[in-house]
Order: sequence, then C-alpha cells, then structure tokens
Amino acid sequence: MTEFRYIETGSNPAAFNMGLDEAILESVASGAEPPTLRLYAWNPSDVSVGYFQGVRDEVDLARCAELGVDVVRRLTGGGAVFHASELTYSVVVPESHRLARGGILESYRAVCAGVIAGLAELGIVSSFAPLNDIVGADGKKLSGNAQTRKRGCLLQHGTVLLGVDLDAMFTVLRVPNEKLKGRLIEDVRARVSSVSSTLGRETGYAEVVPAFERGFAAAFGGLGERSVPSGAEMARARVLASERFASDEWTFRR
Amino acid sequence: MTGSYIGKPAGGKLLRLELEWEGGLVVRASIRGDFFAHPEEGFDEAEAALVGTPVDSVGTTFAAALERRGVALFGLTAESVGAAAATIVASVRQSVSDAEPGAPSADGGRE
Repeated sequence: MTEFRYIETGSNPAAFNMGLDEAILESVASGAEPPTLRLYAWNPSDVSVGYFQGVRDEVDLARCAELGVDVVRRLTGGGAVFHASELTYSVVVPESHRLARGGILESYRAVCAGVIAGLAELGIVSSFAPLNDIVGADGKKLSGNAQTRKRGCLLQHGTVLLGVDLDAMFTVLRVPNEKLKGRLIEDVRARVSSVSSTLGRETGYAEVVPAFERGFAAAFGGLGERSVPSGAEMARARVLASERFASDEWTFRR
Repeated sequence: MTGSYIGKPAGGKLLRLELEWEGGLVVRASIRGDFFAHPEEGFDEAEAALVGTPVDSVGTTFAAALERRGVALFGLTAESVGAAAATIVASVRQSVSDAEPGAPSADGGRE
C-alpha cells in the first residue's frame, strides 16, 4: 500500500496555485487527506515573492501589468521567482512523517530527493545544495525550494527550471542597482541552468511530468494513481485564492 | 528620523531594513528579504515588538522577541538586524552632526 496521494493539476493562475497548496495543507492537517504530492504549472506566467520580501522591492509591477504577468506572495520564505517554463511541485506531510523528521535541513534534503530522482529519470545528474537548492553536475542551479510548517504539517514547494528566459525574468524582477543590471544578468546566467539547456533541446511540462512521477515514487516509496484534488479542496482553494492570495492586503503586506 | 539599510550580511541572505524613530524610540521597523523564519507569524510579531524599543537596542530586543516566540531563522540573524540598525543610526547621526547648526535634521541613511 502506498501512503502518498498524487495529484496533477496542470497550469493555473498564481493565486489559485497558492490557494490550492494551502487547501491541501489544511486537508492533510485535518486528516481528511493523506500525505500529498502535487505537480503543477503556471498560466499566465507569474512572479512569486517570498513571505518576507517587499513586493515593490522585488517586482516591477507596472511591467507585470503590461505583460499580463501575475504577482503573488507565497506562504513560504525565500526569494522572488519568475514562473514561466517550469515544473512546480508541492509536498505536504504531517510533521511526524519520516520526510519531515530531522530538522529543516534534513527535511529539505529528503523532499528534494524526489526532484533529484526525477531529474535522473531525464538523464540529468544533480545534487542537493543546502539549504534549499538543487544544482546540476556543473554546479548551476536547476531547482529552488521553500518550506513552511503550519498546523502540524510541513509544506514544501519548489520549482524545476525547464527553460530560462533571463531577459523576460529581468524585465519583471527589479534589481537592487539598475546600473549593475547587465552584470547581474551575467551573474545569474553563470549560476542558473535549466532542463532544456542541459538536455540540449526544448523540454516542456507535459514531457517531464512522467519522469517526475517516477522520480518521486522512487524517492517516497511509491505514489498513488494520478488523481485530482477533492471537491472540498478545490472549493477551499478558490476561496483562499480570492480572499488571500489575490488580495492587495496580502500581496502588499510587505 | 528615518533610515534604511540594504546589504548581504556574511553568510546570510539579502537584508533590507527600514527604521523610523523619534526621541530615540523606534516608531516603525520593516525587515524584508529572501530569508526564512519558522513560524513566519512569530517573526511578524517580533518585528512589531520593536516599536517603542530604544533604537540602540534593536538587535537585542529582536533576538529576545524571536526567542520568546520560538522562531528559528535561516539566512538571517538577529545580530545582523542589530548591526544593520546600528549602521543606519550611525549614518543618520553623522549626517545630522555634519549639517549646518540650526538646519533641519537630515533624513536618510545608507541606500
């Protein structure tokens, strides 16, 4: 018997995506649902900022509005992320679960093992880079991850970069010093890679989902059949999306 | 008086600190960056607890407020917040003492 529920929800707007991660956290916390892995993507593209970031510090809001890029604040800390060509996952388990034991670093490592195994399924060698990154054989970042603990549960979500468009990224993200923007872009180019550039071909979400299913199944000791969120979770996600994640009060709280 | 700091303390993530104080007491403090804190709400409360505290003891007040709430930080330390506050205060005091006698007090700090 496998303990992990596995759901795949395709591409959705940012506020819904964050609302559904929280709805799953609530349903696992209440015992209504077992530990859960979710795979998903974003449409439209989105910038998410960490819980402690100032949205005006990090995001060019006018450019996002012009380009139709959503902006959302996450429940988790960490940095701003431009979500375009990527696979995103979330994992929710009770804090008593083996994946959540052993402290923050060990739980990052345990959950990231699923991402690393998924990349291996694609033929990409990668490793965990504490505290919260996964890097390829060349040391360049392929995945960023963030976790929070609430209601007695661990939520970790993270992104696997399928492609990187640095020009688009730096159109919507603000940099601390505009004069150094060119150098910052070169710095990120030197530190960040993607599945597509590693494999030498364009690689999309639909293509990589089966690889990450196999990878997470291997790392987590099996997954249930691919399914969808419960009706209660979908309803709760829509409420959280509109009342929290799409609200100015939440987005502009820092 | 107000001032701000932006920097990357050794071993830490980016820290942005904005401070406003009157008569030596903090009236507003905003700590932002790409760090992690668990539980997040405890961090929010510890940040709010800085209001009313002497501007010269931001670091120790923040450390005690975090500890009381059992907040663990990653990529940030209370000491680095205190050091950033001290940098702001020193910078603003310097610019005040540099100002012409009788001139309005300077408003700024390190940007």
